[in-house]
Amino acid sequence: MKTPAFLALYRAVSQFHENETLIGWLQDCKLVVWLTPQRRKTILVVGATFAAIVGTMDRHARWSDYRHAATWLVPAVALPILLGIIYLLYLMAVHFKRLPAFVRTRPQICVHILIWVLLVSIWLKLSPSVFGIMVITLIAGSFPYLIWRCGYMVLSGQRGKAITTKFTDHFFYIFPVWDGTNTPPGKGYDNLSRAATQTATAYTRSLLAGVKLLLLVALWQGVMQVMGAVVYGDPKNSLTGILGGHDLGIPRLKYIINGNVAPALGIVWLSLYLELIWEALSIAARGHVWVGVLRLFGFPVFRNTYKPLLAESIVEFWNRFYYYFKELLVEFFFLPTYLRYFRNRPVLRMIAAVFAAALIGNMYYHLLQARHPLIAADFKQLWGLLGARLIYCFMLAVGISISMLRQQRQRGRMAALGPRKGGVYRLGRIASVWTFFAVINFWNVKAGITIPERGRLFLSLFGF
Amino acid sequence: MGMILEPERRKTDLIDFLRTIQRPDFPLQEIDGDLSLVESGLIDSLALLQIITYLEQTYDIDFREKGIDPGEIKSVNAILELIARESAA
Repeated sequence: MKTPAFLALYRAVSQFHENETLIGWLQDCKLVVWLTPQRRKTILVVGATFAAIVGTMDRHARWSDYRHAATWLVPAVALPILLGIIYLLYLMAVHFKRLPAFVRTRPQICVHILIWVLLVSIWLKLSPSVFGIMVITLIAGSFPYLIWRCGYMVLSGQRGKAITTKFTDHFFYIFPVWDGTNTPPGKGYDNLSRAATQTATAYTRSLLAGVKLLLLVALWQGVMQVMGAVVYGDPKNSLTGILGGHDLGIPRLKYIINGNVAPALGIVWLSLYLELIWEALSIAARGHVWVGVLRLFGFPVFRNTYKPLLAESIVEFWNRFYYYFKELLVEFFFLPTYLRYFRNRPVLRMIAAVFAAALIGNMYYHLLQARHPLIAADFKQLWGLLGARLIYCFMLAVGISISMLRQQRQRGRMAALGPRKGGVYRLGRIASVWTFFAVINFWNVKAGITIPERGRLFLSLFGF
Repeated sequence: MGMILEPERRKTDLIDFLRTIQRPDFPLQEIDGDLSLVESGLIDSLALLQIITYLEQTYDIDFREKGIDPGEIKSVNAILELIARESAA
């Protein structure tokens, strides 16, 4: 069947990164030829050095404070120590087989003990001087960002893949120029070395795929700008003024939960769904920047976000929404649990692994992320930040467990039946996934109310 | 106890197993040895767990100490290499 002209045009424009003529032309360009794998790596390593310095200074004080020479002292001492610790972890990865049995079987726990030793030494004020405490605080405060990246390096050692690697093979993703949150986009050495392009043609394809993602960033940011004005009537949005008050005025979910507004139940539900769309756009825009830059440097890795709102199951949505966070939870919590426990009880094995990832891993990740109250040992503030999230993570773990078990049971049966049903059936599945994540997200939105207050508001969603 | 099989038999058995866990909407033709199973859409990430269980039960491979790199089970050839490596160890 012939493809309609407009569809063919759309496909040609949207898939420009696969255009062979463009690839053929671009791969002969001087800049692309000059950017050999070795030169790209050198740029990344130099960039990582810069990122290490800037990141450490930024975590220590405001940039305006660096006018005073004394402000430089703490990062000047902390950074070499930090680099020394990372180098020791690199040696641990390279010489993994020679490590004691306990470390070999539980390497990630040993890595994380490091951060807790630092935290306890701050809490107990083990350093005799204020300067010493400030240095330790900066090192401990840097680790939530570095710990998972170092974790990937050690994981590489555990898999026997770090033996012949150099420190620079790891350094560039531990302090990445492509940035990211505490979650490492692109993961670590194993994934990046596998993805790294070696030929000019492969690099050109990766480059164009990166450009495409960066263009999508602009598109999604534009959509968010329009949504912010038309749907939310956000006063800080420059488009809102142009609309002259002709917006839908749907309140953001955080304002509803905080009690700033009390709209009708239908509007609350609308706000729940819109929040899900907003978050999907937001994470897609941010993730495309990280992965886009990675692709520009010749690592054509998976997107961080890939059409999550079209997912037909909870587990599929989880896989597509924030891929590298899910991968982190899978590699550091799910797989170790799955490989180690309940091998002869498949259902329990799956459920235990899901709860280890979606509940324990998810909570632990966010505990480390709350570095300021953690360093200050302000457990009341920590509970205020994370209490509601505990319920979110529990609901997520239950949802994923059910979804995975259902999919596993259906797979063999459906494979025999043939392709899945389409149309309304598919829409129904997508709607149920939206509803699940919109509802549990109620517990994920930051708000200054207690858990019982949030619980009462949550029950009111269902008419109680 | 792990089974000792000839390489060709291992491949046939593995492909037969993959057919039982493939995505229902994927029109299965021939499975190329280097085809990325997840990226091609043949199986989803959940099915990787079933491959792990298959390797544990059929070849008695113990992943507890070394862990597993999902990249090592990304294609038929990669899985066969893993089996050969672990069988020789």
